[in-house]
Amino acid sequence: MAEAELIDALRAGDQDAWRQTLQANLPALIGYATRMTGDRASGEEVVQEALVTVYKGLSAFEGRCSLRSWMFKAVRSRALDELRRRGRVVLSPHGDPLEDAFDGRGRWREEPPELGSDLDSRIDAQRALAQVRRQVDRLPHDLREVFLLREVQGLDSSEICAALEITPQNLRTRLHRARKQLRAQVVRAIQEGV
Amino acid sequence: MPFSPCRVVIERISAVIDGEVSAVDRLRFHAHLALCPPCKRYYAQLVAVRALGSEPSEEDLPQDFAAVMSFVLDAVEPPDSRPRQSG
Repeated sequence: MAEAELIDALRAGDQDAWRQTLQANLPALIGYATRMTGDRASGEEVVQEALVTVYKGLSAFEGRCSLRSWMFKAVRSRALDELRRRGRVVLSPHGDPLEDAFDGRGRWREEPPELGSDLDSRIDAQRALAQVRRQVDRLPHDLREVFLLREVQGLDSSEICAALEITPQNLRTRLHRARKQLRAQVVRAIQEGV
Repeated sequence: MPFSPCRVVIERISAVIDGEVSAVDRLRFHAHLALCPPCKRYYAQLVAVRALGSEPSEEDLPQDFAAVMSFVLDAVEPPDSRPRQSG
């Protein structure tokens, strides 16, 4: 079914169309909301409320982005409401984790540490996985959301830009900052033996 | 790029990962890494973290979504299919 036909069916409350749409998108939407809010129960609640909002707003949907982007946008908006309610919206600081890493000529002032650990060798993959996961969840939300949408949920750039209402350049910048910040956090945690 | 400052090379990592550089620039990037152990180490760490961060955890694996699905399906039920309330 073409997207325009699907949207008409969804507007009409066609249960089969809704079931098909939910089956295709719920895992990713709930996964994203769970990682944004920090727990699955909140994630499910956020998605439920967001999708009802999507249904109610379908008459005004102009198709300027894909339905999938629009659903992610609604989930993100509701997840942010939840984080604000809890006072947990933390934006990334302007500082760069590599701000002091280079000298005036752009050469390493202090080289990246040789970790000789899970991360370099992946000997203890499960431990490394848990550590990285923990650090993803600790990223400031504006970096975490682009990391989750791109790296975990696999949305393409246009979908993410539509969902977050940001430009491709802004997305590239945020994604790069997210990766740098995540690496810095993981390296620090490993060095501190956390 | 092999003789570019390390800072410039490191700031290109995401563009290289996302395939947003030309084949020539990609070759130059990797040529720099081959000659520069600190940049090579940084790149390896960032790529490893990215790969691990992308792996789904148990919470991300498919689960029973019936409750969420039925909540939404109930909410989108067309008005004319809902049971009429007396009174």
